[in-house]
Amino acid sequence: MAKNEERVALVTGSGKGVGAGIVRVLCREGLRCVVHCNSNRTLAEKTLEEIRNAGGEAILLQADVSDPVQAASLVTQTVEQWGRLDLLVNNAAMQYNRFIDQYDVELLRKLWNINIGGYWRMIRAALPYLRRSPQPRIVNIASVHAKRPTCFDAGYAMTKGAIRMFTRELALELGKEGIPVNAIDLGGTRIEFKTGNPPFLSYRPAETRNPHMNGKVRLVMPEEVGELVMYLAGEAASAMTGSCIRLDGGQMLT
Amino acid sequence: MQKKRVLITDLRTREAQEALRYLNANGYAAFTVPENLRLWREKELESWAETLDSDLYAVIHPAPPLFLSPLEEQTEEFFQKAADEGILSAFCVTKVFAGLFRQLGEGVLIYLNSIHAEKPVGRGSLFSMGCGAVQMLAREVNQDYGTHGVRSFFIQRGISETDPDGRSDISNLYYGVNMRYPERKIPAPDALNGLLAFLLSPAAAPLSGSDLRADGGMTMYYGERITKEQLEEIRRQMLLDNRKEVTILGEE
Repeated sequence: MAKNEERVALVTGSGKGVGAGIVRVLCREGLRCVVHCNSNRTLAEKTLEEIRNAGGEAILLQADVSDPVQAASLVTQTVEQWGRLDLLVNNAAMQYNRFIDQYDVELLRKLWNINIGGYWRMIRAALPYLRRSPQPRIVNIASVHAKRPTCFDAGYAMTKGAIRMFTRELALELGKEGIPVNAIDLGGTRIEFKTGNPPFLSYRPAETRNPHMNGKVRLVMPEEVGELVMYLAGEAASAMTGSCIRLDGGQMLT
Repeated sequence: MQKKRVLITDLRTREAQEALRYLNANGYAAFTVPENLRLWREKELESWAETLDSDLYAVIHPAPPLFLSPLEEQTEEFFQKAADEGILSAFCVTKVFAGLFRQLGEGVLIYLNSIHAEKPVGRGSLFSMGCGAVQMLAREVNQDYGTHGVRSFFIQRGISETDPDGRSDISNLYYGVNMRYPERKIPAPDALNGLLAFLLSPAAAPLSGSDLRADGGMTMYYGERITKEQLEEIRRQMLLDNRKEVTILGEE
């Protein structure tokens, strides 16, 4: 079993939101982490500062994971810094909040290249280093919308459905090498802001709402995602692979 | 009475070819896209769709034929090609024809897909990703277009006798496929024709938005139930045939 202090984690999209919650927990537990961002460097610097102020060890790297060269470079820079990579958490994703007829094929291709292509590229780039780790792990952040439709973003749901199957395939493909691959089907989470605002208003007829439910939706906190990632990264979860774990505070049951 | 028109978007699988034949013989006018039309080119598809008469009733969109591709042998170019054939084709077909059905106030979209929307192939990550994505698209169609009279169905079909060989070194699924079916034979490519006809009928309306696992029970297969005596006979035969030993689940 590897000591946390020896292990290195790379969490994509960790400058803010869910990813920031994950790196905060991993660093608290002693792992050295890459805080990765693409567009919002200011928030990522703030996350890095928080981690360092709390005694954690982290660096900040900027890259566009939809670009094959930048994705590969993100991994090599991590290994150049610390000499190893033990945990890859794929989290960077976009959400455009569009109905089917508000997408065009090029926008969907762009989304695919980030939400799936980014995961695909990062895993391929990380594999040679994960193979050298005594306790390698891959965690893909998916969504409850890998199973349940969104009604607000068909493209996003398609990419999350794809992650569910990508995770299962890789669990088989990398299982023989002892690399567990799991996904987290994340529900509504309290974050700073989403990557896009809906170009429409969401309307539910009043009779479809239970008045007793007002304000009772349990949002997930980013650090709670980090706790689950930490469990999946640990020895206790070594038999768990190909799983898609729903983390939604019971939202899907209401 | 004019026959209802059904578009089958891709005839590369035998299931799709058989569906075309069956529907034409059973009261529908089924047809496919021109050979040079690429489904993932949205504008081209849209232009072609505008040339169709407005009496289109349904679209059946089959998944592309199964392909295996180990993760580390995949290239960027191959990744994009898989996206074209899998998710982008399904998206463009959906956008164009669900949009048309919305105007007409009625229509049926059937995604004739695969068990690999749920069950991994083994060395088939790009194929399965596409299946998983289209499964979610089918559910979203129900949300976006259901109130406009559009019904959508997602079929997870099993392995048929004309499918490409999906055997790999990391999955049992494609080994002894015939033994996995209760009838001990792989279904013929026309096995789903009756289901397609049902889904096209108004009687299937309550199933709209559903995933239909139409795999004859093959994914529920866990192994043969045999007695110890039968096991010994199998072993004896294997020795006679000079075959390798097999794992018998549950054997003490």
